[in-house]
Amino acid sequence: MTVHTFESMGTVVSVRLSAPTPHSDATRASLSTEVLALRESVAMAAAEQVFDGLNERFSLYRESSEISQIARGELLLSASSERMRDAYAEALLWREATNGAFTPHRPDGVLDLSGTIKAVAIAEAAAAIQACGFTDFSINAGGDILTHGFATDVTASDDSASDDTHIGDWMTGIVDPQNRTELLSVVALTPELPAMATSGSAERGDHIWARPGATNDFLQATVVAQDIITADVFATAIIAGGQETLDHLTSHFEIAVLVVKADGELLANARFPELVAH
Amino acid sequence: MRARSAFFAGAGSVAILAIGWQAGVGSLMSALPTSAPAASGTNAPAGTANSGTANSGTANSGTATAGSAAGTGSTGTTSNTSNSPSAAAPAPAAGGAVADGTYNGQTFNTRYGTVQVNAVFAGGKITDVVAVKLTDQGRQSVSISNQAAPMIRREVLSAQSAKVSNIGGATYTSQGYLASLQSALDAAGFTG
Repeated sequence: MTVHTFESMGTVVSVRLSAPTPHSDATRASLSTEVLALRESVAMAAAEQVFDGLNERFSLYRESSEISQIARGELLLSASSERMRDAYAEALLWREATNGAFTPHRPDGVLDLSGTIKAVAIAEAAAAIQACGFTDFSINAGGDILTHGFATDVTASDDSASDDTHIGDWMTGIVDPQNRTELLSVVALTPELPAMATSGSAERGDHIWARPGATNDFLQATVVAQDIITADVFATAIIAGGQETLDHLTSHFEIAVLVVKADGELLANARFPELVAH
Repeated sequence: MRARSAFFAGAGSVAILAIGWQAGVGSLMSALPTSAPAASGTNAPAGTANSGTANSGTANSGTATAGSAAGTGSTGTTSNTSNSPSAAAPAPAAGGAVADGTYNGQTFNTRYGTVQVNAVFAGGKITDVVAVKLTDQGRQSVSISNQAAPMIRREVLSAQSAKVSNIGGATYTSQGYLASLQSALDAAGFTG
């Protein structure tokens, strides 16, 4: 497995890639070291292209981006690209799913899709990496993580490391918001629940906008879900909406949640301890 | 038999079966009074449980079945927040009907600690089933519905942190990355 990093969207993206599993002697022969290295660089270039392309269109930090043109009133949303309108429509569905805790609008009314766009980039970069023939990899963009397949090159063995975790599960730490050099927990991300996202009230604040009456219930919320967009949106929504949103989402969606309250106390739903590696 | 079907109708609505508490549920039955509760509709099929009679404001909408998929399960769990088991099980009322109150089931040792399943009776019917976790720290009890409940740090801390290949946390900037645990893993080429 190899580790690659690149910068995009104001953060650092770390990708771990396992060599593709050869399906026959012929493909094994074609996977010489050189070919493998070339494939990896193609996959990484594709992933970086996905992030930069989305950033180009959706970043409010870039004056030339399409969304900045909309924010300045130079471009009507109705006249914007199909990609922009689709992203907005999807963000409205997420607002509905979270009872309004997640919103694609800043308090000043400006359209801001940064709340979903990093997760979209992670999902699309994963698709690009898969298209290059890789089945076992992870992408960590600024602390939000999507895994695919398994963590080691050898996945045939089903020997379990313990009752709870298997060799090849992606062991993933969750940082303690009160001491960022410590881990709160370590969970196994698996093909069943491969994505994890974390939001915090102390983060750089680019996509959590306080609603009127917003709560300060939680310091940090981590959501493990079937896809990275769900995980990211729900983590954001729980920070914004507090206890009420947490209760709504855990009772309606198949997610595992770990929350750090303002006083440092931890809350978790029943799915969460099932993922904790012991 | 009628009592059993009523019980499982209630149990389905809180999706306890989905997380494997069958053992606890089964043995709760033996802990309950043997007389059938005087309840109408006890033969109702699973999925129409508790269609909202005595339970004002907490009526389970009844779509949940054991192991139900995303978006459906445990719609009734908001009624499931009573963490502390009642100290003493109420005695059955004379005449065979089950008196209102909370009935404690047996306790079981699971990998999550000691668990007890309690049933709440009202008007002769089971109106709620609560799985209660008794942690090993004192007698603090934790609800095992899908709602988030307090955890002690030791419960979520792993012994396997040495094998970690990624660290999640609230979004860091490019500068923040340099001071992060993730950058240390990346610099070491640590792949788990």
